[in-house]
Amino acid sequence: MRICLAALALAGMFASPVLAADQVAKAPPDGDYRKVSELVKLPDFLPGLGQLYVDPATLPAGPFLAYDHDGSLVSTIYMLPVADLTDKDRRFDDLAAPGGAVDHVDVYFNAGHPGVETPHAHVVLWHVPAADEARVAK
Amino acid sequence: MIVTRRRVLRIGGVILAGLAGTASGSTGGAAEIAMRGNEDGSDVWYDPVGLHVRPGQAIRWTNHDAGNAHTATAYHPHHSGRPNRIPDGAAPWDSGYLLPGESFAVTLLVEGVYDYFCLPHELAGMVGRIVVGSPPVAEPPPGDVPGVFPPVGQILREGSVRRSRTARRGHREHFPASCIS
Repeated sequence: MRICLAALALAGMFASPVLAADQVAKAPPDGDYRKVSELVKLPDFLPGLGQLYVDPATLPAGPFLAYDHDGSLVSTIYMLPVADLTDKDRRFDDLAAPGGAVDHVDVYFNAGHPGVETPHAHVVLWHVPAADEARVAK
Repeated sequence: MIVTRRRVLRIGGVILAGLAGTASGSTGGAAEIAMRGNEDGSDVWYDPVGLHVRPGQAIRWTNHDAGNAHTATAYHPHHSGRPNRIPDGAAPWDSGYLLPGESFAVTLLVEGVYDYFCLPHELAGMVGRIVVGSPPVAEPPPGDVPGVFPPVGQILREGSVRRSRTARRGHREHFPASCIS
């Protein structure tokens, strides 16, 4: 019994923490997230997306956490390479979704950028109403 | 032979003064190529995609895409093993990633056809072609892909070739949830 408890304690210590929404609500998010513009050469604020953070271990899919100019979370984004989406032997399972409630979802093609250098799909889980997307438009 | 940006900056006044205003798409002597992208990053391109310059004329790429970084990278085995698509005796160049507003310039001295690409966007079709001078045989490099690079003859005739509007995906269809549910 003692061994089992010790094993559980160890497992708890090394398990990836599941962040609550309030831990990512403001930039910078807790955990292993890093600012994308410090990982690759990209503008710090991307028009239409915002300021992005990602855990490098989860590239290329993400999740990427996107913040507005005030540092408030607006969306969670997954970037899924087209080549993977059309590969019957490839799938994305159990992607983290730390951002909380989702208002609506956008899915669209992206030609690529440093960090995800192949054509891919952006799957954007918006945590704000569509009218508030303007907060990251520019 | 190639003269890179630093070289151009150092001797640019002399070079540019001597060659000003002779090639299509040029301003103040340097031929300008814009790196562009649309708002959601679904399309990226060089503008113009084909350009004719004189030997020794500066060529400057500037990133006008507010949401992305781009490169101008010569097709050459030095660059990730790409095929050689620049003239014999010419040196390859690589701008490195350019953020919005940043520029990079080279001066090409060997006559011929130069093909180049954007490192993160090659698969999305962001490639370009420069014809320097009047090559004795104005043929594209081996392995040319029709429809991707503008024809050499068209570049020589027109001086500057832009992508057609239809190729730029000017029209985007949106599918609100009510349409696909």
